[in-house]
Amino acid sequence: MTEELDEIYRRASALDPSRPSESVRRKVLEHAAALAARPRPAANRPRWRPAIFGTLAAAGLAGLLIVPRVFNPHPPANSADTAVPAQIPPDADAPPGAGAPAMAGAPPTAAGAPPFADAPSMNSAPAPFRPPQGAAKFRAIAPADRQAAAPQEEVGNTTASAQPASPQTEPSAALRRAAETGDVQALRVILGAEVPIDAPDARGRTALMLAASGGRA
Amino acid sequence: MPDAGDSTVADDSDEALIGRYVRGDAAAFELLYRRHEMRVWRYLQRNLRDAATADELMQEVWFAVARDASRYLPSARFTTWLFSIAHNRMIDSIRVRRRHVSLESLGHESAEVTRQLIADPSTSPVAAAVARDEAAALIRAVEELPREQREAFLLQVEGDLDIEEIARITGSSFETTKSRLRYARTKLRQMLKEYA
Repeated sequence: MTEELDEIYRRASALDPSRPSESVRRKVLEHAAALAARPRPAANRPRWRPAIFGTLAAAGLAGLLIVPRVFNPHPPANSADTAVPAQIPPDADAPPGAGAPAMAGAPPTAAGAPPFADAPSMNSAPAPFRPPQGAAKFRAIAPADRQAAAPQEEVGNTTASAQPASPQTEPSAALRRAAETGDVQALRVILGAEVPIDAPDARGRTALMLAASGGRA
Repeated sequence: MPDAGDSTVADDSDEALIGRYVRGDAAAFELLYRRHEMRVWRYLQRNLRDAATADELMQEVWFAVARDASRYLPSARFTTWLFSIAHNRMIDSIRVRRRHVSLESLGHESAEVTRQLIADPSTSPVAAAVARDEAAALIRAVEELPREQREAFLLQVEGDLDIEEIARITGSSFETTKSRLRYARTKLRQMLKEYA
């Protein structure tokens, strides 16, 4: 009975003279043809998809590499095998005449060295100890000559503590750097030169505070 | 532009044709339009009982199909998508028209269609005249069904949709849709018996 009703309905529809307007058909087909001829957005073109996915994958990989460094800016402590002599570049062995004033203009010489001695390194590998040129001089001074060298160093340190300039200009910056990175050999050398151990950096942090923040107090 | 050798084939499925159109084949859209033109138009015209409004909505429906073709998901049948667009446009139109037009005035078009069916100039054999009378009576009966029953019936016979698809399009439950179709068919059969 259902089929019979449907059949009667179809027959009635076929006999029905009502038709949609011809102008509707023309407008619809013209509109559809215009849309088909219009270039589609680049994102819908299949040949763009590999490029889009590749870009997204590269961005994701870069994010995976960057995010851990953002959330863990302090690198792990230097291991004991980071020997100080091997890390000192040749230009660090400046002539004895290069004192504290000369260090003010000394740029970082290695590509991995941060622009400021107290700035936390973003590298995952431990930053090598790179004492300023003054520290190299301290190492070169024999114990017997420390008495003679002490007044000159005290003058420099007094100036530094009175006017906390850039941390790179202070011998105590090398001490704080060594304390922060846990470089025991460098600490021994620097402390042997009677550098003031409580000299703060521009943010008021002493060598002890930096060592404590790294869990090496 | 369509690829070389990508010619439109008349017996392609609706889903294949809409895919061709998305890739720039305007001839595929024309084939699709001609295939479903009368079904959509009858659905609109018999629901609204107004040929001018049916024309207006017909244009809106197919404009929407052309514009949103790239959003069509082949997981659903093309006719389900097409008639859901038609249904939504029609409901919007009914809401607007209710503010301006009384329901009584809508009946004039139905009477006119019936008169045209009966007064078909090609009338010659008596049997054909009887068939036309029966057809005209059925069309009039369809148009006099309650709106929900009429819409469900037209979606079934014009859209070739099953109960589940009709329920989804009209936003009704499966059982409600099934009841509407049963009531509609019962009334139409009763009318045909009375006519006979």
